[in-house]
Amino acid sequence: MSSRSRLPGVLGVIAATMGLFFSAFSTHDYALHLDRQLHATNCSFVPGIAGPEAGDNACKAAMYSSYSAIFRDKYWGGVPISLFAMGAYAFFLAMAVYLLTAGNAASKRSWQTYGLASLTPAVASAVMFTISVTKLGQFCKLCVGLYVASGILAASGVWALVAAGGKRVGAGASATDTIPDVGPPVPAGYPLHAYAMPEPARSPLGPGSVIPTGSWLVPLALFPALGAFAVAPSLVYARSMPDYRPLLLSCGKILDPNEKTGALVKLKTRSPVQPALTFEDPLCPTCRAFHKRLQTEEIFDRLDLTVAIFPLDSECNPMLDRPFHPGSCQLAKAFLCGDKAGNAREILDWSYENQEELRDAGKAGKEILRAKIRAKFPEVDACIDDKETKKRLDRVLQFAVANKVPISTPQMFLGETRLCEEDTDLGLRYVVGQLAPQVFQP
Amino acid sequence: MKLSHILSILAGVGLLVGVTAFVNVEVKAAEKRLTAPKKADAPVAATADHTEAPYCTPQFKSVLQRVVNACGLVGEESRRGCQPVDVKQFATISDEDFNALFAPLEQRGAIILFDDGADKLDEGAKKLIMEKWEDRRLARYFFIVSRASKTGAAGMNKALSHKRANSVNFWLQDQSKDPDLDKKVGMLWLGEEFAQLPKDYCDKWTNSRPGKPCNADGINRSAFISWVDCRL
Repeated sequence: MSSRSRLPGVLGVIAATMGLFFSAFSTHDYALHLDRQLHATNCSFVPGIAGPEAGDNACKAAMYSSYSAIFRDKYWGGVPISLFAMGAYAFFLAMAVYLLTAGNAASKRSWQTYGLASLTPAVASAVMFTISVTKLGQFCKLCVGLYVASGILAASGVWALVAAGGKRVGAGASATDTIPDVGPPVPAGYPLHAYAMPEPARSPLGPGSVIPTGSWLVPLALFPALGAFAVAPSLVYARSMPDYRPLLLSCGKILDPNEKTGALVKLKTRSPVQPALTFEDPLCPTCRAFHKRLQTEEIFDRLDLTVAIFPLDSECNPMLDRPFHPGSCQLAKAFLCGDKAGNAREILDWSYENQEELRDAGKAGKEILRAKIRAKFPEVDACIDDKETKKRLDRVLQFAVANKVPISTPQMFLGETRLCEEDTDLGLRYVVGQLAPQVFQP
Repeated sequence: MKLSHILSILAGVGLLVGVTAFVNVEVKAAEKRLTAPKKADAPVAATADHTEAPYCTPQFKSVLQRVVNACGLVGEESRRGCQPVDVKQFATISDEDFNALFAPLEQRGAIILFDDGADKLDEGAKKLIMEKWEDRRLARYFFIVSRASKTGAAGMNKALSHKRANSVNFWLQDQSKDPDLDKKVGMLWLGEEFAQLPKDYCDKWTNSRPGKPCNADGINRSAFISWVDCRL
């Protein structure tokens, strides 16, 4: 294969176009959510053709994770990392176009610089791939598209590195390299006279083609250019962002945070600095995601947290005409009993960690769910049926009524300020940083 | 400058401008939606509220509304209880229909029985009051509707009815220690001008003297108590 094949350039164009394509869809989905609403997201290897998907999917999970953006406490939702990918792939596309159009005229230094630089997206992809495996446990198809793009780009880069140089010959070769015309090597011991001189093999660049070595200024210019390309979309994004501050206090305050009968549960956290109150349902998927987000964003253990357990199950909650989460009354009572037994947090964590299984059990029948609770936490079993537990749960619900909170979970009050529902996912870190900056202070 | 350089620089600049313009358009579009959201984009969840039971008919609510307004359950007034004459004025329905309004509370409430001519609560009464009080769930109002039988003078019975309502209320105050009690409990003390309860109330309603004889006179020496699951 020729050392100056155009294939690295062709591969580079393909990879960079792919990278741009997938990162643009990812950025589009992220920016779509800047209006604080829920939207369908693209999660396909052929986004734009397959159409966005409503509901949960791996791409939404990746987007809502704390790894999808940086500076989340400074900007609402943070600055998505897909922006850096977009900028970088734009750079690589321009570079690949150069390699293709310049052909032999492209300097050795520019090929080498391209080769080295093209490995950086692969490094980023390797990091994100590891996070997908170890933290998220699922792969978003847009991300996979980016992994593949970065892989192809890296392959083209390695090829470019290998093909960059030729043999240096002759005086004055400091500025140029010449590809010599060479035939096949003469086998050892083979009589030279008997070795008929074959027709000289032709360099793909042609006999005596000259490859300029290029200046060291090439990498010194191109690497900063790559940085500038990568950062530019992020800067534009950050500068264009709306001002969310007036919205943060628009969801009201709690009317009376003091529940006088002790019905609410105070959860133990490691270093509480900010009073907070949450309304949670153990079988509500959004609560699980919210609970997990509080933990991964390192907010949870900084809260002086009181939980008003709020089952959306008509079995015990007269505000509802049907059970939204059948079985959550039992888990709510188990949680209240856990407060006495000292393992309320453990019960809540367990409920969230095993939510799908517990939801199925709740739908299958009260006894099936009860058996699971009994097997895991035998110490609270008797307490669940206790009249006092029912009364306590009633008092929690009365607390909700007294404060006229929406019949919706999760809800969070930082101090007395109610976090808007729209700010409990992508904007969580920003909102907490604005309303309770001490949470992120050491 | 070679053509390849020009081409790639143009490509680079074009791509960079395109990418940043794309980002800017996306963010600005989001800002537009943020500042002027569509109505359909902002569904409003129901607010946690007191329960509303099927027996909260318009007639029942009109009685409830008058009791609530007149008896100090709303606002900052500290007035407690309603004079029977007030009730007579606002209850523009027949006595039987007035009693029937409260009939659906039989599953929710209970009847506290008193001795003849007395307003003292016995142990069974005290226990039942607290049982019913604690079974609030999400009801907003607690009603005490006291009566006296027609035995004796009308004035004495009116006073006795009043005292019986107070006995229940004082016991609640003493036991519940609820600082908002005044905003929850409504009292009516009915004089003999109201229809007497028929004897079948002995069987249909839970009373504070189960297993003991209950007759038409006895059931009217009483106070019925119940949480009322209505919103106003």
